[in-house]
Amino acid sequence: MSTGTAGPAAGDRPLVQVGLDQLMALIDHTSAVIYMRDADGRYLLVNREYERLFALHREDIVGLTDHDLFPEPIADTFRENDLAAIARGHPVQVEEEAPGDDGLHTYVTVKFPLTDESGRSYAVCGISTDITERKRAEEEVRRLNDELEMRVRQRTAELEASTRELDAFAYSVSHDLRAPLRSLEGFSQVLLEDFAGDLDEEAQGYLRRIQANVERMAQMIDDLLHLSRATRTQLRREHTDLSALARDVAGELTAAYRERTAEFRIADGLVTQGDPHLIRLVLQNLLGNAFKFTAHKPDAVIELGMTRQQGVDVFTVRDNGAGFDMQYAHKMFDPFQRLHSASEFEGTGIGLAIVHRIVVRHGGQIRAEGTPGEGAVFRFSLTPAPADWEIR
Amino acid sequence: MSNRPILLVEDNPDDVLLTKRAFTKNRIRNEIVVAADGEQALRHLLPAEGEALHPALVLLDIKLPKIDGLEVLRRIRDDDRTRHLPVVVLTTSNEERDIVTSYRLGANSFVRKPVVFEEFVNAVNALGVYWLLINEPAPAGPGG
Repeated sequence: MSTGTAGPAAGDRPLVQVGLDQLMALIDHTSAVIYMRDADGRYLLVNREYERLFALHREDIVGLTDHDLFPEPIADTFRENDLAAIARGHPVQVEEEAPGDDGLHTYVTVKFPLTDESGRSYAVCGISTDITERKRAEEEVRRLNDELEMRVRQRTAELEASTRELDAFAYSVSHDLRAPLRSLEGFSQVLLEDFAGDLDEEAQGYLRRIQANVERMAQMIDDLLHLSRATRTQLRREHTDLSALARDVAGELTAAYRERTAEFRIADGLVTQGDPHLIRLVLQNLLGNAFKFTAHKPDAVIELGMTRQQGVDVFTVRDNGAGFDMQYAHKMFDPFQRLHSASEFEGTGIGLAIVHRIVVRHGGQIRAEGTPGEGAVFRFSLTPAPADWEIR
Repeated sequence: MSNRPILLVEDNPDDVLLTKRAFTKNRIRNEIVVAADGEQALRHLLPAEGEALHPALVLLDIKLPKIDGLEVLRRIRDDDRTRHLPVVVLTTSNEERDIVTSYRLGANSFVRKPVVFEEFVNAVNALGVYWLLINEPAPAGPGG
């Protein structure tokens, strides 16, 4: 078959005259469904794809209307769309449905009227492309989306419920767990004060041990509450002055441990956008740790500074205290992990878990480095960083 | 020093005992009237009939049987007879919402009970010195 072959050098030669056969070949070799109907809806022409699709020969179709070929509602719609194209006098695009082997198929159809010299429309041409697969895919995407949204709503509701429970739990812990501790501590003290004569040195020692443990448990309850608060309170980002917060915390530490001499070097103008209450907890824990682990150093120095790593502000808390063995560094941000014995340095092992949680909630990262006997440095960011960024 | 009684609203008998001891240790000899729940506290302060208690100070726990401390506080502030009564919330909680609600309802002070008894004795001493000695109370009586 010669279907209008124009050679590579077509530009140099006169164009091949395109005849009716060639045009028919063109419309027969497309995957679109093409047809022409007169103003009364009678078929004038259909292409090969049309024949294939509806298993009809063109000779049998010409002269029939859609009402002879399709169920009435479908034929009605086709006719309506034909008339719309005729009425407008220019091409219209519509979505149509027609029966296929496996149920209804959806087509996107362009219909345009053919007009005579007086401008009267005498026929309508239609070019229909099967978009059933795309429709099904879209439908699937929509269904998955709906499902996902429903699941998100469900999970959110579950999460909210469990947050409420956690909230109630923490509240109850803060109230009810401390009350018996007050009794234990208080009445131990009453025994020491009122019955000192009846108790020998050893008995009094045991009472003091009870008191020390009660105090430790109270501290653990408080730390757990901080940890839970660091998770459940809403994060409010506002202008936060870390230098001022750090000086505040340093002041508290020096006031609480007057026998200690530690030098705090806090850089000026360290600011960020973050939650000041939570960031204060970060500094309380990091500076508190640095203070604690420099207890055996006569020339203790604790520094707060900032560096910028690829545009991300990284805050640094450095001390020259006991340090730690790097092989345990990965464990130190888990709750209740301690790298030092209780007799060496007291602590509940929750502080760094609080710090870690707050940093993560700010979208930041934290990293610890230490050398036993020489000191530790904690670096943390408080803002989301580029995807492949890692704190150094 | 005011010699009017102190109303201690506290349901835990151990805490009552320890609080009384803390007052004694600080040589505060005002009578201590104990209300073991919110209902009793309101019966003392705002009785339907009979003589009302006119304490120098109310120490109010939050978590109480029947009527909780915050509701007691609200009713104290709603009534002309007790509107200006010094109320110190003395409780185990340091939950922000409890602190905020207490002040919003008109608490004069919010103190978290320390676990260590010696610290509690010091806190009670400070409260006694301030509210019974230093502070000048509003005159008693309606609208006072």
